[in-house]
Amino acid sequence: MKKTLALALVFLMIVGLLAGCAQPATEPTAGTPDAAQNDTPKTLKVWSFTDEVRTMALAFQEKYPNVKVEYTMIPMTNGEFQTKLKSALQSGEVPDVISLEASFVREYVESDFLADVSDLLPVAKELGVYQFTIDIGTYEGVTKAFSYQATPGAMFYRRSLAKEYFGTDDPVKIQELVSGMENFEAAAKVVKEKSKGNTYMVGSTGDFTNLFFANRKAPWVVDGKLTIDPMVDQLFETAKSFRQNGYEAQANQWQEGWFAGMNDSLVDAKGNQKQVFSYLLPTWGLPYVLMPNAAPKEVKEEGSDKSKTVGKDTSGDWASINGPMPYQWGGTWIGAMKDAENLDLAKEFVKFTTLNPETLKNWALGTYTNEYLKKIDPSIGDKLSQGPGDFVSSRKVVEEIISKFDDAATSKFLAGQNSYKGFAAAAPTIDLKLIQASDDAIQRSLNDPLTNYASNKQSKEEAIKQFKDAVKNALPDIIVE
Amino acid sequence: MLALTPKASGKKSTGRINKNFYGYLFTAPFIIGFLLFSFYPLIYTFFLSITNMTMMSKSYKIIGLENFTKLFADKFFLQALGNTWKLWLLNFIPQIGIAMLLAVWFTNNRLKIKFVGIWRTIFYLPNLLMPATIAVMFFSFFSLYGPVNQFTVRAGIINDAIDFFRSNGWTQSILVFVQWWMWFGSTLIILMAGMTSISPTYYEAAMVDGASSWDMFTKITLPLLKPVLIYTLVTSLVGGMQMFDIPYMLTDGRGSPNGSIMTMNVLMYMKFASNKGHIGAASSVGVMIFIITSIAALIVMKALSEREHKPGKNTIKVFTKGELKA
Repeated sequence: MKKTLALALVFLMIVGLLAGCAQPATEPTAGTPDAAQNDTPKTLKVWSFTDEVRTMALAFQEKYPNVKVEYTMIPMTNGEFQTKLKSALQSGEVPDVISLEASFVREYVESDFLADVSDLLPVAKELGVYQFTIDIGTYEGVTKAFSYQATPGAMFYRRSLAKEYFGTDDPVKIQELVSGMENFEAAAKVVKEKSKGNTYMVGSTGDFTNLFFANRKAPWVVDGKLTIDPMVDQLFETAKSFRQNGYEAQANQWQEGWFAGMNDSLVDAKGNQKQVFSYLLPTWGLPYVLMPNAAPKEVKEEGSDKSKTVGKDTSGDWASINGPMPYQWGGTWIGAMKDAENLDLAKEFVKFTTLNPETLKNWALGTYTNEYLKKIDPSIGDKLSQGPGDFVSSRKVVEEIISKFDDAATSKFLAGQNSYKGFAAAAPTIDLKLIQASDDAIQRSLNDPLTNYASNKQSKEEAIKQFKDAVKNALPDIIVE
Repeated sequence: MLALTPKASGKKSTGRINKNFYGYLFTAPFIIGFLLFSFYPLIYTFFLSITNMTMMSKSYKIIGLENFTKLFADKFFLQALGNTWKLWLLNFIPQIGIAMLLAVWFTNNRLKIKFVGIWRTIFYLPNLLMPATIAVMFFSFFSLYGPVNQFTVRAGIINDAIDFFRSNGWTQSILVFVQWWMWFGSTLIILMAGMTSISPTYYEAAMVDGASSWDMFTKITLPLLKPVLIYTLVTSLVGGMQMFDIPYMLTDGRGSPNGSIMTMNVLMYMKFASNKGHIGAASSVGVMIFIITSIAALIVMKALSEREHKPGKNTIKVFTKGELKA
């Protein structure tokens, strides 16, 4: 009796030990071509790095009620999403659909993991999808991902401050004043002098690095060798000038001090109120970054339950222009995995989210409110929703909806300016021939050297050497001379 | 399992079943778990370190020691190695020093400090917080527009705000402080446990002989505490060589600024999380960490236990994963 008990216990322990190793049972896949219309309930595994695609996934469920979308959100702040995805690729337990951000989309498009979605190209053509978004998703003639966004860059500035320092807040005149990096720097000088150093042109040097990268002549890697374009040199000089002359707030992009400039709650250590004149952000920067952060924020007072509000409502005090140099920043692409359990359904999802004029319209116009989405799935909570204003990838859709933004929330925020018009004019000019899979790693390697040179801690030679060493470490396959 | 030797198990069941078998049976769960989840990954890591495998492609080839030559060709690995030792030593020395001091005070019968349990709990609390929370908290405390700068400048302690996380020295100091703050409470508890297990009769006898507090500490407490000290040293060393969570999350995950808090594990993760996922190169860093940690731990245990006078006290222990922290 005891023996059997002991044996049973040992067996249990071993089973417990190995329980985690079991593969989840795989569902049989139906081979019907029109998988989405099939009656048997299906699950679609979607992985993304924000809540954006989740909104679309819910709309997808609305259209295909027999499909259950299993949505997994993994942040990409320090590359967690990419790491998780790579591990999944190795283990073979892949999702069906993945979102890909501009910084790593090429890595996947150039690999063999994504399914060929070239058969959707005629649809894209009909919708007038901006060519650069297709180019990024295409490698060796095979298109593997599409985007619902086009993300031309812009510059947003404070009208009240522009009046004070330049005597006008007219977007056309301000654009003239800042076009070209030298003029931008000269304007920064005016802002500093007229505000007695209390207003910064930008929140961080990170604000304008993208502009320099976008205007390079040569890509980072030519024939397997690291190539440093003259633009990088100019970036070093501009960053140093902004840091040394106090034209930037020395904040870190995407961190507290940087956001604080948007609602005028930036206070330096001595208690002086500081302001930020402009932010260089692309299309998505307006509805996702600037607008949510331009309102007063409630913070808890230390040591009590009372809360106080800091900052003020700056909406209506902004204007949008093209900025010193044309650029493009970010964007999300959607691709289906080659080994997806439901490949047809996954492709349908790609088509629905990126190439369906109905979805794109709803997306851009803010139809997907919280109430709307809750009707599809009541368990989503009170936060998930898609506000109006994101710039979509189809020219046809853009032209249809452009006038609807004349009195939208985004236009009120910009004191009546229809930002969509500006983006629509900039989008066709974007060219992304320079984009390469290794861009993100190389540009990250530049962070420290750039900061060191800007703050006079290193000479240019030392900074470049540090940059090259960092590239060598991050990308062992690239020849660095 | 050793209790069930054939003799002790009685003569009744002779021939029916060899009770030695129970030994293997009862250790089987651990052995299987160890082989599968520790030994196999270890061997596999050694194998990976001689390949050029990446996460983004399915094919790879064996390239011999190329990963290791590359590792020593650039300064990153040596910098990470230096950083790891520096950061560990700078946090371990004050950690053991202050924990020792507090442990002596708390266990001292003459001082009679009140609420020892509460103090001990308070000192241990940081260890219960998640490293991610701690890293984010300290990052916002010390950011350029953060409360530390606001407070010190307004109180007139410093003139201008300090950009802590763009300065190598400050970032390292903050990291060392965090590590110390997180782990001295845990060391304190272990040292106190060791001290309270020393029989008070030794101290009473010493007091009768007129020994001073210092004499009692160096001649009674320290020698009898040695096994505990070795344990603390080795676990902290092993944990320190594997320092990862706080340095990874405190800044940009790449040991910024200028790789000043890039430990060996952060470097390994950087190689793994690079655009292609160079898992072969990452494994070579892992192998180096393994070798360095093993050698250091063996040296420590050898050096400290050879001088042990009583042969019965064997200090080698099997450490669980939770104990292996700085």
